Amino acid sequence: MQLRGLGIRRGERWLVRGLTADLPRGAFVAVVGPSGVGKSSFLASVAGLLAPAEGEVVVRCAQDGPHRPDDAEIQRCTGFVFQHNLLVPTATVLDNTLAGRLGRYPAWRTLFGLPGADRRAAYRILCDLGLGANVHRWSCQTSGGEQQRTAVARALLQEPDLYLADEPVSNLDAYLTGRVLGLLRNETREHGRTVLCVLHNADLVERFADLVLSFDPADPANWKLREVRR
Amino acid sequence: MNSAPGPGPAQPAPATSHAAPPAPAAEPPPPPRINVFTVAIAAFALAAIASWPALRGSGRDLDTWGNVVRFVGYFFPPDWSVWHETVRALAETFQIAVLATVFAALLSLPLAALGARTIAPAWVAAPARLLMNFARTVPSLVWALFGVAIVGANPLAGVIALTLYSLGYLGKFYSDAFESVDAEVARGLSALGASRMQAFQYGLWPHARPLIVSHVIWMLEYNLRAASIIGYVGAGGLGAQLASYYEYQAWDKVATVLLFILALVTLLDLLGEWVRRHITRSLGVRR
Repeated sequence: MQLRGLGIRRGERWLVRGLTADLPRGAFVAVVGPSGVGKSSFLASVAGLLAPAEGEVVVRCAQDGPHRPDDAEIQRCTGFVFQHNLLVPTATVLDNTLAGRLGRYPAWRTLFGLPGADRRAAYRILCDLGLGANVHRWSCQTSGGEQQRTAVARALLQEPDLYLADEPVSNLDAYLTGRVLGLLRNETREHGRTVLCVLHNADLVERFADLVLSFDPADPANWKLREVRR
Repeated sequence: MNSAPGPGPAQPAPATSHAAPPAPAAEPPPPPRINVFTVAIAAFALAAIASWPALRGSGRDLDTWGNVVRFVGYFFPPDWSVWHETVRALAETFQIAVLATVFAALLSLPLAALGARTIAPAWVAAPARLLMNFARTVPSLVWALFGVAIVGANPLAGVIALTLYSLGYLGKFYSDAFESVDAEVARGLSALGASRMQAFQYGLWPHARPLIVSHVIWMLEYNLRAASIIGYVGAGGLGAQLASYYEYQAWDKVATVLLFILALVTLLDLLGEWVRRHITRSLGVRR
């Protein structure tokens, strides 16, 4: 993924300016900075949900041919764990997870549900995340941490080339935090997928990230990309 | 730590090295006296005063309470000898109400999607809403006349009439339900690669479904009552029976029919209440 002179603005305020970087495939990139600095806006920009004020984001999907992928292709190969989860409260944990695979099929194919293979894959991931007993409960009947894990499960089921995770462990205890971030790092190591993950805990950054992208609230142009040395 | 000077009374200097928190304002500012709620109440009160002449009646002494007692007395005791034909007509009424509700519940879905401003563009939503308003404005009895005119005097006319009438109501309820749920979820699914149709089916629809189920049950209750009336113009059900009893002023037989309708509507109301309570409880656990 390439960032070419990326600039993001919220109203009159610049959040980021001149961000230029090559983020290699298979890297776990921690996005850090104080609250309100623009981390979520940066992820939204990468996902194409927020148009950059200047510069561009170039995302290459694994299946890309010589042509430049359109927005729909980029969305299909981008998995997002939203800060507020964005689950359907009156859909089951299983159905919320299965939504991660919708992009693989045309609408008529998913009119009466997704194939059994997808349901089995979703169940495996949910069991991995300790949600095996909750699959048929509505997400509004589960705890905040369970909802967050459901959102992570949805992204994992999607098997995207690029994960954008906006504080995916903010509601989780230490064990589950390690489990979720371990699964995401596994995606980078075993499948060569890239993860951009907003984190606030310096220990977690040092433990899981390969690269750290930090933003400066005082100076939008003073972003820094550094490698984590182990 | 610096303490900003507050508008409250002067505070003595703190005895310790810790500065005191800023003094709160003496009184919170008063809420605005005029808001949408007070304006609506005032407008409603004015409308009620302006409508007062409707209560004047004929102006003649008609022994009102005597009339009430006499007329109600005609209904008692109910004539149970007509229970057999009443049950048969009630079954037909129930069939009309159920089929009309099912057809309207299905047909309203695309119409409501077109009428929801969070789904369709304004130039599509406005005419769709107008169409639903029209269907709602025409009384069910007039829709029944329309049904009788096109398929003749039979229960099918009732089904057509109540389907068209219910389309107006359910279409509006569905549209409002789609507009009231969090569209961010559907947008989130689109961001994950779902098509518009999939974002609707998997993002909006499950969210709006409990509300919609509740509205459909209400519509079934309504249609049951309406299906008891439309027979007056030949659209099947209990109405025809009621019309003939009315014609011969057989109020004791009318009482039997009304008691059967009451029993069925109460049963349906209890069922609807149970479903609604179940839905509310499910949603109330954590939102």
